[in-house]
Amino acid sequence: MTVLDIQNLSIDFPTAGGVVHAVTDLSLQIEKGRRIGFIGESGSGKTTTALAVMQMLAAPGRVAGGQIILGGTDMLALSEEEMRLSRLSKVSYIPQGAMNSLNPIMRIEDQLWDGIIAHEPTTTKADLKRRSDEALASVGLLPHTARLYPHELSGGMKQRVCIAMGVTLSPDLIIADEPTSALDVVTQRHVMQTLKDVQAKIGAALILIGHDMGLMAQSVDELAVLKDGELVEHGDVRQILEAPKHPYTKDLISSVPLVGGESFLDPAPAEPPKGRGKPGVPLLAFEDVSKVYGNVTALHPMSFALDGEVPKIVSIVGQSGSGKSTMGSLMLGFNAPSTGRVLFEGQDVATMDQAASLDFRKNVQAVFQDPYACFNPFYRVDHALKFPFKRFGYATSETQTQQAMEDACVAVGLDPALILRRYPHQLSGGQRQRLIVARALMLQPKLLIADEPVSMVDASLRSTILKNIHDLKDRHGISILYITHDLATAYHVSDYVIVLYQGHVAEAGPPKQVIGEPQHEYTRLLIDSIPWPDIDRGWGTPTTEEEDAARLARLAEDRQTVMRGDIPGFTLS
Amino acid sequence: MADTPATPLTRAEKATAKRARRFDNPWLNPKLIWGASLLLGIVALGIIGRLLWNLELVFTGSSLLKIPPIGFENLRGQAGTLANPVGTDGAGRDMLALLIIGAPNTLFVGLMASMIGMTIGIVLGFTAGFVGGRTDDTIRVLSDVMITIPPLLILVVVQSVFGDVSLTLMSLLIAGFVWQSPTRLIRAQVLSMREAGYVQMARLSGASTSHIMFKEMLPNLIPYLFGSFIASVTTSIVTAVGLEVLGLGPQRVPTLGRTIYEAINAGALIQNLWWWWGLPTLLLAVMFIGLLLVNLGLDEVSNPRLRKL
Repeated sequence: MTVLDIQNLSIDFPTAGGVVHAVTDLSLQIEKGRRIGFIGESGSGKTTTALAVMQMLAAPGRVAGGQIILGGTDMLALSEEEMRLSRLSKVSYIPQGAMNSLNPIMRIEDQLWDGIIAHEPTTTKADLKRRSDEALASVGLLPHTARLYPHELSGGMKQRVCIAMGVTLSPDLIIADEPTSALDVVTQRHVMQTLKDVQAKIGAALILIGHDMGLMAQSVDELAVLKDGELVEHGDVRQILEAPKHPYTKDLISSVPLVGGESFLDPAPAEPPKGRGKPGVPLLAFEDVSKVYGNVTALHPMSFALDGEVPKIVSIVGQSGSGKSTMGSLMLGFNAPSTGRVLFEGQDVATMDQAASLDFRKNVQAVFQDPYACFNPFYRVDHALKFPFKRFGYATSETQTQQAMEDACVAVGLDPALILRRYPHQLSGGQRQRLIVARALMLQPKLLIADEPVSMVDASLRSTILKNIHDLKDRHGISILYITHDLATAYHVSDYVIVLYQGHVAEAGPPKQVIGEPQHEYTRLLIDSIPWPDIDRGWGTPTTEEEDAARLARLAEDRQTVMRGDIPGFTLS
Repeated sequence: MADTPATPLTRAEKATAKRARRFDNPWLNPKLIWGASLLLGIVALGIIGRLLWNLELVFTGSSLLKIPPIGFENLRGQAGTLANPVGTDGAGRDMLALLIIGAPNTLFVGLMASMIGMTIGIVLGFTAGFVGGRTDDTIRVLSDVMITIPPLLILVVVQSVFGDVSLTLMSLLIAGFVWQSPTRLIRAQVLSMREAGYVQMARLSGASTSHIMFKEMLPNLIPYLFGSFIASVTTSIVTAVGLEVLGLGPQRVPTLGRTIYEAINAGALIQNLWWWWGLPTLLLAVMFIGLLLVNLGLDEVSNPRLRKL
C-alpha cells in the first residue's frame, strides 16, 4: 500500500535574482513500512521536499506545481487547521538538532503530553501517563526519564525523546532530518537502531534525510538521490550501491573513502620535496604538555617531537571531547599549556619575543573547521590572502602579490577570475575551504595544523580538498597535523596516527596498523561504529548502548596506551 | 537558475521586481527613508527658518500675547494674523521663531549626548571585551551599577546645583548616563567575535591587536553601533525634555521642553492655548517617530531575515 505519493512536485523560492527552483518535477511513491533515504548535497532540495509534505516550507518558498497525497489525503489542499491536526498524527518530523528542539523548562513527559493533548483533548491524565511511558520505553529510555528536564539528558537520549515524540500518535509517515548529525559515531549507531526498531513496530514509512552514504546503506531499504532539486536516481539501496546508473550517484559512492579501500590521492611524485626544518632541532615538540580547564583535564601530559626534515602528515583522531582540538590550539599558541612547554624549533612558544613570535606565525599556519567563519564578511576574499602575505614580508609589489594569489588559486583547482575580488558569501563552503588551503600554500609555512578541514564540506568535495592538503606535503614539503574524527580519511592521508580518548593516547602508530588492524579496544569500538557503505558488511557487532557506555567508562579508567611502531622523524613518548 | 521573463511585465510583476530591488539594496528601506526624512525635516525647519523668518520675534513682548494660529480664534475673539502664522505664547513670543530655534536645539542635545556616550561605550566595550581579566570586571561592574541608577534623579539634583546650564553642558551630563548600554552591547559582541574564525585567521596572519580591533572587528559592528546610537539618541532626548519640562534645562535658550514647561506654568491647558503646548509636543512626536522608523529600518538592513519580499 502506498503511504506517500508525490506527483510532479515543484517548489519555487522567489528571490531578488529571480525564481530559484528548489525542487523540480519530483515524483516518488513510498510504500507502508518502507524506509527511504533522501541523499544529496546541501541545497539539493531534500529537506525542502520533506517539509512540503507538512506544509512547513520556509517563506518565501511555495509549491509551484504537483501533488502530495498522504494516505489518500491531498496534503496541499488542507487548510491550516486540518494540516495542524494531521501533523504528528499522520506525519511526524524528527528534527536535526534534537538538543535545541526540546523546551528546556518542561519535563520530558509534559512535552510528550502536549502533542497528544493537541490532537485528543479529552485524554485522561492516567491515559497520558501510560502512553508517554510506553513511548519512552519503545525508544529504550528508562521510566524515570519522564520526570527529567532536557538538560539532564545526554545528546543521544534527547534524540531518543524526539523519536518518542514522533511516534506517540502512530503516524503513517516519519520524516527524520539528519537525526544523528550532532551525535558522535558510537551513539549514532544506537540511535539509528532505535529509530529502525520503533518504525518497524508501528509500521510507518520512514524518510531519512542525510548525506552520509554509509549511514544510508546501513539504515534504509530504498534510496532517492537528489541533485539540484531533481531526483536523479531512485531504487533499492543494494541495487544503487552496487550498480549506480547516474554519474552523480557514482561520484557520491566513490567519494566515500574506505579503510583498506583504494586511495583517492594522487600517486606521490618520484622525488619527494625536501623538508624545510632546521636540521637537528625538532620543528615542533611537546614537553609534558597538559591542559586543564577548571576541573576538567582536556589533555593529560604528553610529549612528542616532530621533525621537519622529511615532510609528513600526522593525524590526531578522536571523538568530540577527546582533546584533539585542544592540542591544535596549544600548537598554534592560542592557548597556553597548564604544564609543560610547547617548543617551535627549540623555542618556547609561550615566552617568545615579538620578532620570534612573528616568525612562528609565519611558519605555523592553520586550516580551520568552519569555512564560513574564516573570512571576514566585511572584506573581499582577497583580504585573507593578501594581508598575511604582506604582513610576513613576502610581497614585493602589488602585481607580484596578485600573481601569487592567482597561482595559489590555480594550484588548488580554483579559477582566480571567478574567485578573487568576490565577497565571502558569494562563494560556496567548498570554495572557501580550498581558498584557505590556497592561503596556506601562498604563505609556505613549515607546519600546517588542519583542524577538521572537511567536516563541514559536502561529501563530494571532501576528497578534493584532502587531495589539495596532501599536495602541500607532497609538492611543497609542508608538514601537516591533521585533526579529525574520521578514521577513514586519516587512514589514507597520514603517515602516523594518534588515537586520543579523553586526553590520553589510546593507540598510536602507522595508519595501516592502527586503523587497519586496531588492537586497543577504543580504536576497535570506533571502527566498529562506522557505518560502511556496504550492506553485507553490517554495522559492527551488536551491542547495547549500556554495554558500550560501560566499555567507554572502563577505558577512561584504564588509560592504557598501545604503541604500534614508529616512523622516522616523529617520536611520541 | 534565475528566470528572466521575456514577455513584457505586468503591473504585479513590476511591483515584485521593485520589491526585489529593494531587497537587493537594503538601504532603500522604506522605513529608513521615512524616518530619515522626518529627522531631516526638523533640521530643514531650523535651517530654512533661520533664512526666511525674523528670529528677533523670539524675545518676550515682541508680538501680541496669546495670538492663535491663522484660521483660529482665541478665547478673547482675536483671529490669527500673518505676522504670527502659528500664534504667540503668553509672553508675546512668536511660536514659529520658538520652534525654529527650539526644535534643532533639542535634537542637538540628543545627538551630542549620544555621540559622547557612544565614544565612551566603544572604547570601554572594546577594552573590556578584548583585554578581559580585572579590567573587564571593573568596567562591567561599573556599567552594571550605573545602569541601575535612574538618570533623572541624579540630573535633577546636579542641575539644580548648577543653576543655568548651556546646551553643551547638558549634553555632557546626559552622556554620563547613556554610555552603559553601548558598553555592554559592544563588550558582548567583542567577546563572541574574539572566537570567530576570521579573528583567529587574523591572529594567524600576525595581525596586531589594534589591527584586529579596528580593521577586523569594528566594521562588522557597524550595524550594532548604528542601532545602539539611534536608541541612545532617543533616550537622551527623552531625558533632556524631561529635565526641561521640570524647568531644569537651559534657562536662556529656547528648547521644545522649556516651551512646554512655560505653557504648563502659565496655565495654557485651562486657557485653551493649545498651540502653545501642542506644537512643541507635535514636533517631539515627529522626532520620536522618525527615530523609531530609522531604528526599525536599520534593524532590517542589518538583519536580512526581517526584510519582507
